[in-house]
Amino acid sequence: MRSKPENKLSSAAIKAWRLTTCIFCLLIGFIPFLFWIYNVVSPGEGNFSIWMIATLGFLIVVIAGLFITYLPEVRWQHWYYQVDKHEIDLQNGIFIITRTLVPVKRVQHVDTRQGPILRNYGLADVTISTAATTHRIPALDEETAEQVRNQISRFARLAKEDV
Amino acid sequence: MFNTQRQHPVAALARSFEIIRANFFTILILLFVGNLGNEGSFTLYWIFGAFIILLIWGIISWLRFTFSADEGELKIEQGVFVHKKIYLTADRIQVIDISAGLIQRIFGLVAVEVKTAGSGSKQAKIDALSREEAERLKNLLRSNGDEVKSESKQESLSELYTLDTKDLLTAASTSGRMGVALSIVGGAFSQLDQVVSEERMIQFIQTHMPHSTSASLIVSGILVAIIIAWLFAFLSTLIKYYDFSVEVREDDLLITKGLFERKQLTIPFNRIQAVQIKEGLLRQPLGYASLVIESAGYGENEGNSNTLFPLIRKDRLNSFIEKVIPEYDVETNHRLQINRLGLRRYLLQMVWISLPLIALIWWAVPYGVFSWFILIPMLLLGYQQYRDAEVRSDDSTLVMTARLLSKTTAIIQKYRIQSAQVKQNPFQSRLDLADIIIHVASGNQGRSFKVRELTEEEAIDIKEWTAWNGTPIQKVHKDRLEE
Repeated sequence: MRSKPENKLSSAAIKAWRLTTCIFCLLIGFIPFLFWIYNVVSPGEGNFSIWMIATLGFLIVVIAGLFITYLPEVRWQHWYYQVDKHEIDLQNGIFIITRTLVPVKRVQHVDTRQGPILRNYGLADVTISTAATTHRIPALDEETAEQVRNQISRFARLAKEDV
Repeated sequence: MFNTQRQHPVAALARSFEIIRANFFTILILLFVGNLGNEGSFTLYWIFGAFIILLIWGIISWLRFTFSADEGELKIEQGVFVHKKIYLTADRIQVIDISAGLIQRIFGLVAVEVKTAGSGSKQAKIDALSREEAERLKNLLRSNGDEVKSESKQESLSELYTLDTKDLLTAASTSGRMGVALSIVGGAFSQLDQVVSEERMIQFIQTHMPHSTSASLIVSGILVAIIIAWLFAFLSTLIKYYDFSVEVREDDLLITKGLFERKQLTIPFNRIQAVQIKEGLLRQPLGYASLVIESAGYGENEGNSNTLFPLIRKDRLNSFIEKVIPEYDVETNHRLQINRLGLRRYLLQMVWISLPLIALIWWAVPYGVFSWFILIPMLLLGYQQYRDAEVRSDDSTLVMTARLLSKTTAIIQKYRIQSAQVKQNPFQSRLDLADIIIHVASGNQGRSFKVRELTEEEAIDIKEWTAWNGTPIQKVHKDRLEE
């Protein structure tokens, strides 16, 4: 697409996303482990083949490895945002590219959110709500996030209209 | 002014019936499951007991429910275990909806529902009120307190549009709700062997239709299903839009409709978010369309669409819009249609959609080879979608036309647009095409309108245009470069 929005997310986002993906993959990894436990607990009929479990486990490890090493970085590279006094411009997506424009005067409220992982890396998400939609700029520096939030809310207050 | 008071006691009954109606299907399933063990009387006790409990629940919640209105503010206190206080200020109220269900009508009462914009939680609904009180409450909330003045003003200016019997019948017989009805009928058919045993069915067929082949059975089965579905759609539309009227007042629209449940909606003009003209597959050839308006109200998951007029001749459409909602009567000077590259994608999409269906029918049904003929109407539909899709605009209004099955034309004021999105998948980026999606507020989730396969440049121009004040689309690009 044409000229992208100017700003990129904090580069610490990659690390934070890696950790999130890691935890998610660990949860998925539990599935073959559960099968194996089932085998041990109730030996005899209806067992899962050990080869099936091994293959499943191997596949999960390989895919998880790819996801953890590459996906966060690629995702980060495809995220752009820009805020000025008329509009909020967002672009994201690796395969399907979505370019979103929110007129600032339509914004109902903005907030920053921070889970334990994001806090660990000093990051925060900015969530922008209009009367119809909710948009998110993920993983900005705490400081930037606060700045963006205040900026949007200041601009939004300048142009107060009806819904 | 309304002092703190309770609803009419009938509210207790109405509340319990509402719970029953909301859980109708669950109850039906329980009935069927319960009857499997041949303990009919036992289930009957259960039903009776459950009904008593519901009634008691209704009475308790009636006792706990009080409301008052004062100086343009509606206060409701309710809740049996969890106390809830809802305060609604008049100038935030989007829609006031007066309806009368079966129970309310028996006692000559109405229910009042108040909706505001934004991300609220539950609806504020008063289940039972006398009609005069409801009208008084409505006027009180509509006019920020000064009751008398606004009432006299509204009466002098109102103008009435009704749906005559012929149009009602046409609307019912061409209603697009057949698809929904068809799926219900199909579901019922698949459950048929629970009620009638297979041998009996075969016996019935052999005695009554001795010369039928399996092919003719399939065809006649499909025909019967379609006819039943059509009847359902016909009746439900008839019930829904019986005695339909729109009253145009100075500040708001008053829509009244319904046979068993009389519904009365009040929609202020300045709360209308967008207008849709829908031309169904069956209606379009007859030259009819229906008008739908989006308004911002909370409580619904789906957007808050209200039918402004269920059926109107296309040649009368413009004059109707001009009179009733003049803001949405627009002359557009800029028009965008889909180019040839887009056609390819419209057709291909239809092919991708039909292929699994064809494969499934081919595999599962005798004579399934003929399912390849599905491709012809699908491709025609794809071509028609391509022909119909367009975006028009003037300085302050956007008109988006697109077709899935029925053709939908959305008229959107620029200052109502909540956000705009340009979406592009890898196949599109190869051809420099993109989709444009516009969101407006409606209900608590909003509604989006989409036109597919514009060129990337056009899509981005429209997106940029939404944020600029009073610039025609063609100029946006130039202006942006100059800045």
